[in-house]
Amino acid sequence: MINHTPLARAFWNRGRVRGCPVYDMHGHMGPYSAIYFPRGETARMIETMDEAGVAMLCFSHHHALTAPDIGNAPAIKAVRAYPKRLRAYCALNANYPETIRREVRTFDRYRDVYVGYKTLADYHGIPISAEPYKPAWEHADACGLLVLNHTWGGSANDGAESVREVAGAYPRAKILLGHSLHGDWDAAVEIAREFPNVYLELTAVLDDRGAIERFAEGAGSDRMLFGTDLPWFDPHHGIGALLSADITDADRHNILHRNAEKLLAPFVPEIKAGR
Amino acid sequence: MEFFDCNCWFGLPQKRHLAPVETADRLLAEMDRAGVAKALVWHITQRECSASAGNDFLAKAIAAHDRLAGCWTILPPQCGETPPARELFDRMARTNLRALRAFPSDHRYLLNRVTLGPLLDEAVRAKVPLLLSVAKGTDWRDVYALLAEFPDLTCVVCDHGCWGTDRQFRPLIERYPRVYIDLAAYLLDGGIEDFVEKYGPDRMLFSTGFPDAYHGGMMLALRHAKIPEAAKCAIASGNLERILSEARL
Repeated sequence: MINHTPLARAFWNRGRVRGCPVYDMHGHMGPYSAIYFPRGETARMIETMDEAGVAMLCFSHHHALTAPDIGNAPAIKAVRAYPKRLRAYCALNANYPETIRREVRTFDRYRDVYVGYKTLADYHGIPISAEPYKPAWEHADACGLLVLNHTWGGSANDGAESVREVAGAYPRAKILLGHSLHGDWDAAVEIAREFPNVYLELTAVLDDRGAIERFAEGAGSDRMLFGTDLPWFDPHHGIGALLSADITDADRHNILHRNAEKLLAPFVPEIKAGR
Repeated sequence: MEFFDCNCWFGLPQKRHLAPVETADRLLAEMDRAGVAKALVWHITQRECSASAGNDFLAKAIAAHDRLAGCWTILPPQCGETPPARELFDRMARTNLRALRAFPSDHRYLLNRVTLGPLLDEAVRAKVPLLLSVAKGTDWRDVYALLAEFPDLTCVVCDHGCWGTDRQFRPLIERYPRVYIDLAAYLLDGGIEDFVEKYGPDRMLFSTGFPDAYHGGMMLALRHAKIPEAAKCAIASGNLERILSEARL
């Protein structure tokens, strides 16, 4: 059995744990050109969430990230179909500045759907600190919204330097470093320590043994968030990695749900009410 | 369910690694902590230092540990660095190295009949498995070209990546009956279930990629996969036990 803690035993035996709901803060949805997904559609993703005890998934739809013609409409539809299980990030593409301005203008129509914004700067080829994103950053800063950014070590678009720029400029935005500057682990820790509005999100980090311990020790488990890129990665794999890591069950509770509950409380009535 | 990890390594890499595991004793301690019964291992010196020296190093390192079996790293025979196949297999049998590994890109040779014909012909006849890591020293074109020349080779494709590899490995599974995939990087949600439904459980092998990855990730994923218990047991250890028992070293 993985490790020997009460939480590990519970997940090992049952696959999900009532006292430890999981909040997946980095998901997607729908088909994607490069990957075959057996469970990419909304209903199948909800099944996966049920199996692993994932209470809520915050996601951006693949269409919104890869097909500007389609945009965020499929995400809005999915959240409204499963309002207790899903929230969306309004996905932005800086190659189309007018759509960013429009998304910011209309954001309040979708307060039941969105918790903030999502950037995918490396894929779109424009730095997260670039001018086209400015209206969204200013909006997030003014309203305390979450901004999930794909971040990768060494990237000119969403590496450490770009993250420092936006973290300093927009201190009231809650900035989630998707993949935690993958590979540039020391910079991720330094930035989390330097900027209290930055959180380390663990998608694709959970299969790098040693990173979890380094983050927990250097930045603190209260700054770490669970994520899987669902439907890319099996949540049980991510949970199992956390159970294997040399951290405490208190750390695991922080990472799997407590930190997310605090971040999501302003946006999700059930969490605000202490469900 | 007993876990037999078909793809893990130990030793100190030349470049900085997040959490290396230096010795066989440390590896076993980590396996005990996780609940992994056995492992088919290789040593980092086999890839980064010298295949020949690394083979000897690995054999000595695991000699006292019957829960660890090793992999012999092959080289082209033309430079006199690899003994003839039968002699090689005898040495492997004596040192509990029960499978072959190859790192053709790192070791600068082509993984094909011109280079390795007699050795791999004998591996086919003796059903000695060859493990290839798509992330470490091999690529998909190497694997496809090799299997076109040796269609009956027992071949385990390892570390095939977490970014969607079904379109790359499924054609091999369908074409070549003795090709297997490992699980170390197969994080795809629903992937195990989908594979087992289409191909059955006999072509998939549990592995972790340790120490690059945590033991517990794939253990928990397999434990709670929506497939029959017998299929889980086959993937966790039964298939690898069968493959190794078939090898006539």
